[in-house]
Amino acid sequence: MEWAWLIPIFSFAAAPLIVLFGKYLPSKGAFLSILAIVAGFGGFWVVLISWMGADPSTSGCFTSENTHLLTCDYERSWFNAGRIGDVGSVTLNWGILIDPLTIAVLGLVTFVAMMVQIYSLAYMKGDPRFGWYFAIHSMFAAAMLTLVLADNFLLLYVAWELVGICSYLLIGFWHERAAAREAAKKAFIVTRIGDVGLLIGILLIYREVGTFSMLDAFEAVRTGAMSEGVTTAAAILLFLGAMGKSAQIPFHVWLPDAMEGPTPVSALIHAATMVIAGVFLVARTFPIFEAYDADPLLIVSIVGLVTALVAATIALVATDLKRILAYSTISHLGLMMLSLGAFGYTAAIFHMMAHGFSKALLFLGAGSVLHSTEFQETGEMGGLRKVMPITAIVFSIGALSLGGIPILAGFWSKDEILVAVSDNRNVTFIVLTLFTAMLSALYMARAMFLVFFGPLKSQNEHAHESPGAMVVPMILLGVLALGFGLISFNWPGSYGGIGTFVYFKHAHDFHFEIWLGAVSIVLAVGAFIAAYLIYVKRSVSLENTRSNFFGILKVIENKYYFDEVYQWTIDRVVLVFSRSIAFFDRAIVNDIIVNGPADVTRKLGIAIRVHVTGHVYTYTLAMAIGSIGMAIFVWLRVA
Amino acid sequence: MAWIVFIALAVLTIGGALGVVVTRNVVHAALALLVSLIAVAGVYLVLFAEFLALVQVLIYGGAIIIVLMFAIMLTRSADYPRITDNKQWPLAALASLAFLGVLAPSFVIDRVENTQSQNASFEGIGESLFTTWAVPFEIASLVLLVALIGAIIIARSDEEEG
Amino acid sequence: MVDLVWFQLLSAVLFVIGLYGVMSRRSAVLIVMSIELMLNAVNINLIAAASHMEGTGKFSNFDGQLIAIFIITVAAAEVGLALAVILRMYRNKSTVNVDEINLMKW
Repeated sequence: MEWAWLIPIFSFAAAPLIVLFGKYLPSKGAFLSILAIVAGFGGFWVVLISWMGADPSTSGCFTSENTHLLTCDYERSWFNAGRIGDVGSVTLNWGILIDPLTIAVLGLVTFVAMMVQIYSLAYMKGDPRFGWYFAIHSMFAAAMLTLVLADNFLLLYVAWELVGICSYLLIGFWHERAAAREAAKKAFIVTRIGDVGLLIGILLIYREVGTFSMLDAFEAVRTGAMSEGVTTAAAILLFLGAMGKSAQIPFHVWLPDAMEGPTPVSALIHAATMVIAGVFLVARTFPIFEAYDADPLLIVSIVGLVTALVAATIALVATDLKRILAYSTISHLGLMMLSLGAFGYTAAIFHMMAHGFSKALLFLGAGSVLHSTEFQETGEMGGLRKVMPITAIVFSIGALSLGGIPILAGFWSKDEILVAVSDNRNVTFIVLTLFTAMLSALYMARAMFLVFFGPLKSQNEHAHESPGAMVVPMILLGVLALGFGLISFNWPGSYGGIGTFVYFKHAHDFHFEIWLGAVSIVLAVGAFIAAYLIYVKRSVSLENTRSNFFGILKVIENKYYFDEVYQWTIDRVVLVFSRSIAFFDRAIVNDIIVNGPADVTRKLGIAIRVHVTGHVYTYTLAMAIGSIGMAIFVWLRVA
Repeated sequence: MAWIVFIALAVLTIGGALGVVVTRNVVHAALALLVSLIAVAGVYLVLFAEFLALVQVLIYGGAIIIVLMFAIMLTRSADYPRITDNKQWPLAALASLAFLGVLAPSFVIDRVENTQSQNASFEGIGESLFTTWAVPFEIASLVLLVALIGAIIIARSDEEEG
Repeated sequence: MVDLVWFQLLSAVLFVIGLYGVMSRRSAVLIVMSIELMLNAVNINLIAAASHMEGTGKFSNFDGQLIAIFIITVAAAEVGLALAVILRMYRNKSTVNVDEINLMKW
């Protein structure tokens, strides 16, 4: 287990190797990247099995007082500032922290990244920057794995920013397109706003605790060394960073635009890396959020609920297939945050994984559709199941899973969330959550039916099934989306369900609220049936509804005008402020403070240089006058 | 008697010198310089420095004036008959007068009363030159050699350098 | 007998005239001539002092004349070099006027 740090190192090593030597290697070095991530996946199993076999007597392992989980921490000194032991000296460590949360996310990231990379082999075939794509992909995965393994805030922040820059590079991968460049910048800048909060939060904790170690911070919170106010402030600041990365309202605007990257990148960002980082951060620092009266968690749950609801409504009216999926991601991230906010720690992690597999599957399916039809608008598709049967089946599995149809993974994880919300939050929350779940089923059904069912359009008749390198990852993910829910159950004898693996303080067996499950099943199935009637049978017309709710629809279709409001703020407030600062900089700093002394020096030089005529006799004259002066001086001295 | 000779030589010296600095013709300037230098040789005689007077006539009156004539001849420039002073000549004149103004009073104030002129024999000079002043003498010959080589290198035409 | 101070005054006047020539003339040849005047002024001064003073210690009373000899030697070397410099200047710049040569100007 202490060798777990090798997991990201493989991928970190692959990136520069591909960049430097890629062009001399077969397949431009892509196999290096895949080998690295396969090694990482192998590492995940090693870590999982050795963690299972570990107990508090194993070196580095102990049962955490904060989470009541078996936690293993291995750290090395990185560098010292000042002499060790002196007052004010600082020792910075880096190390890895392994607990069930780490292991769960490790498995998710390595598996999805592996699938996406194999898929990309076929999807990106023939791209001029094939090698570069895989190098950044490796880097992205490595950064995310480091983030997951980090045992201190400093390393976490470094990995956090690496994830940000890799996502920037990947979203802007086709930087010949203006839209891709803009989207990359938007993603980077918007998440950056949250990152500032994260950094301040980390520094605040450092000031209070005196170390970057997360375990020390949790310990300080538990023992009360960190006061209530500081803890709450730190939690809110950390959550700000999580909001940026996990695209919570109002920082969600970057995620739909991130569609400009290659589709497998979207799969990776949405399922396993970038956006998961925010949820992971909240889960990782849960002791800070949960301390004292757990006030920050109320904020988390409200933000999550609003995000889930707003994004779900936008997903319902979006027409671009990838945008539907993007807003669906935002909505489900909202659900995860809501779950965390409602103390549903296990449910959030479980949903993160179930959603990760399903969403990766959906994106790879969407990529497969785009690859073969070159359309993104759902209106241009329809009936594709006839020409792309495998894609249709696996996409449907993903959609049904996310829609919350029983037996599939998404149903169980969503159910866990519903239980957590109904247990710990009031009735408004549970109603709105159920409504969101229904919307989720509705838009997934809509996407599925619009794309794969109904009559096949003539322009798509040449469409064909994707190559094996794309289909196989989709099938593997499909199997997981189908059967992943099984890990939530009690298996008598050996395994007590996911609730006994990843939990916060209290292990709990799988349980199922009959009334909640019934309501959610009814809502989900009802939504699918309604969608079938509307979009396939066309027996129910939406025209009346559309005209009745024209005003609201317009607002939703414009994504609640978030982008417009931001644009207005930037144009009217930020730029005006910037211009005045720029004017100050040019007029005062530049012209007076910087150029002023230089100008004076220059003018002085011009004024003084007239004696340098270059003529010999001028110098002779000066010499003569100097001699006279010296003679007079000597005279005065003598006299 | 000595006074009359001294005044006559002084007038010739200063007159020649003034001729050098005011004439507009380079050749005239050279001739004026010759007059001045020969008069200086006379002044040496008044001071009973016969050897120096001889050296003055030989080296200045002979070699140096000839070298300057060569310089004039080899750089025969169209405006030599009507050369002018540069623009700062009034300033130069003022500075020169001021210089005289500090130089002459310093001689007059610290004047030495002894008026006994003494003779120096050729033998004495020779002996002193090769005993007390032997090292400076050798150095002077080295200086002449280096100056000779340097002059040749500087004046050599570019074509021969390749 | 002529007093020492008169020789000194003569040398002072000669020196100042030479100085004026160096400062005011344009032609390099004339500047060299003016330098010769200044050197002669110095020589007069030295020889006059030598003739009017007693020697002290290891120095005889005519050591001033010997220094004058060295000055004449150096003057000869200087004129030779000056000729070379003037020739080179004339060849490169086609002029011997020092006010037309101001490469050292700012």
